[in-house]
Amino acid sequence: MAYVHIDRAVKYFSREDGSPLKVLDDISFDTKEYGITALLGPSGCGKSTLLNIITGLEGLDHGRVEIISDTEDGERAHPQLGYVFQDPRLLNWKRVEDNLKFALKGMEVPADEWDERLDKYLSLVGLTDFRKQFPLYLSGGMRQRVGLARGLVIEPQVLLMDEPYSKLDQLTARQLREDTLQICSRLKQTALLVTHDVEESAYMGDRIVIFSARPARIAAVYENPLRSSERDTDDMRFIEFKKEVLETILNLVKEGA
Amino acid sequence: MAKQEELALGTGGVATPDVDPGQGPRKPVSVFAEAGWDVSLRVGSIVALIVAWWAMGLFFPPALVPRPWETFAEVGVIIKTGEFYHHMGNTLWRVFVGFGLAMVVSTPLGIIMGSFRNQESFFEPPVILGLTMPGLIWALLMLMVFGIKEISAYLAVAVTISPMLTISIWQGTKSIDKDLIDMSTAFHASVYSKLVDVILPQLVSHILAAIRYGLGLAWKVIVLVEGFGFSNGVGYQVMHQFDLFSVKGVLAWAITFLIVMIFLEFGVVGVLERSVTRWRPRVEAWRR
Repeated sequence: MAYVHIDRAVKYFSREDGSPLKVLDDISFDTKEYGITALLGPSGCGKSTLLNIITGLEGLDHGRVEIISDTEDGERAHPQLGYVFQDPRLLNWKRVEDNLKFALKGMEVPADEWDERLDKYLSLVGLTDFRKQFPLYLSGGMRQRVGLARGLVIEPQVLLMDEPYSKLDQLTARQLREDTLQICSRLKQTALLVTHDVEESAYMGDRIVIFSARPARIAAVYENPLRSSERDTDDMRFIEFKKEVLETILNLVKEGA
Repeated sequence: MAKQEELALGTGGVATPDVDPGQGPRKPVSVFAEAGWDVSLRVGSIVALIVAWWAMGLFFPPALVPRPWETFAEVGVIIKTGEFYHHMGNTLWRVFVGFGLAMVVSTPLGIIMGSFRNQESFFEPPVILGLTMPGLIWALLMLMVFGIKEISAYLAVAVTISPMLTISIWQGTKSIDKDLIDMSTAFHASVYSKLVDVILPQLVSHILAAIRYGLGLAWKVIVLVEGFGFSNGVGYQVMHQFDLFSVKGVLAWAITFLIVMIFLEFGVVGVLERSVTRWRPRVEAWRR
């Protein structure tokens, strides 16, 4: 399958007065293949900037970002990237299934595959019964599920998720994290999740990359000791791991202050 | 975070619709009962107007303030004799053509102004000036330049309403959700798909609002054009009744006008609106 390879990435922004502001400082890491990599860091540290660089919305000043995949010649290339945004960003005037079709159409997926894909991904996110519904008649959590299905339906090599649970209430977010984790491990989906929530990163991430405050350096990389099926927020082993990640972050914040 | 959880649990597990963690779709609350009440309020307001008119008639001679029922009888006569269809048909056609012309110019112009800064600066002055120009002046200018021809009526209507249409679509374009454009770029949507699937649906409500206001403006100017120069149309009839100093006649023709207006507003535009905004749940709780 595929993963994102980031090699000594450096990025500057220019300040109001024109002087350069370093945002990313020598960032190197690979995302996990067949799994979720959580990118954890304080707000404003440059996580979203890195995401924009991966998607090509912004360029790099030094270094390289590439998506390594083993798609063979002759095989129809899968689109490289799928997206799940912070707000679901649905077309509210289109039914759930038409929102997914919008992505399929954009990615030029042959129309004869659409039905099969809609069935598959809507049932994965648990929205089979709502495919003819308009988004504004759904709850916030369900809308975010539509967003997830839209990101997956194009069968991307890498799924990028930008704080997709941060605007949901606690209970809905918890349920959705659980479901997303299950879906991704079932699909063996390579995914990069940007988050500022420690528990979320420990729960979702097979690998956790911690950014320092600006300019972002890599402060630590953790491999999750628990397999996705073993993660339980009440389990002692999970709580231990979460604590470890939390302490790393707290030390960073102290140093920064 | 902890506070949110407390809140959700504090309500005894019964989530409010806005933080609905459950899986059920929201149910509309007895739409029909609400619609019935709404209609009776509207009818009540019209009845109140007629009563006020009648009360005013107690203080004036009938030549100045004719009785409501006499005026409505006159409306009946106008409709029965067929005069109504002839004149109203002409007037409606002129409004329709003028409206079409204005839409064809204003929609692209408004989208362009809302999208590009330079074009916005360039077109803003004429649009704002156009907005302040009284319809009466356009009516006179068109009649002087083009003479008493249909084209004068079409153009007077088009020129009078197009600034307002343009402004509405221009502002609508500026309020388009940029995040959705980014989203459509992320999913590689074509330019055509962006326009049809993403941009135009967001403009629909602005265009409908513009049509509402535009209809009001169009009526005002068409009556002037017809009154000054034409030998048919509702405006001509109103002017004719004025020459006869028949208040009842002026009012009767005005009322036929209002009836058609109400039909267009609630019938045509209303139905159009409901059919293109089916995706939007009616949320009116905040108005109570």
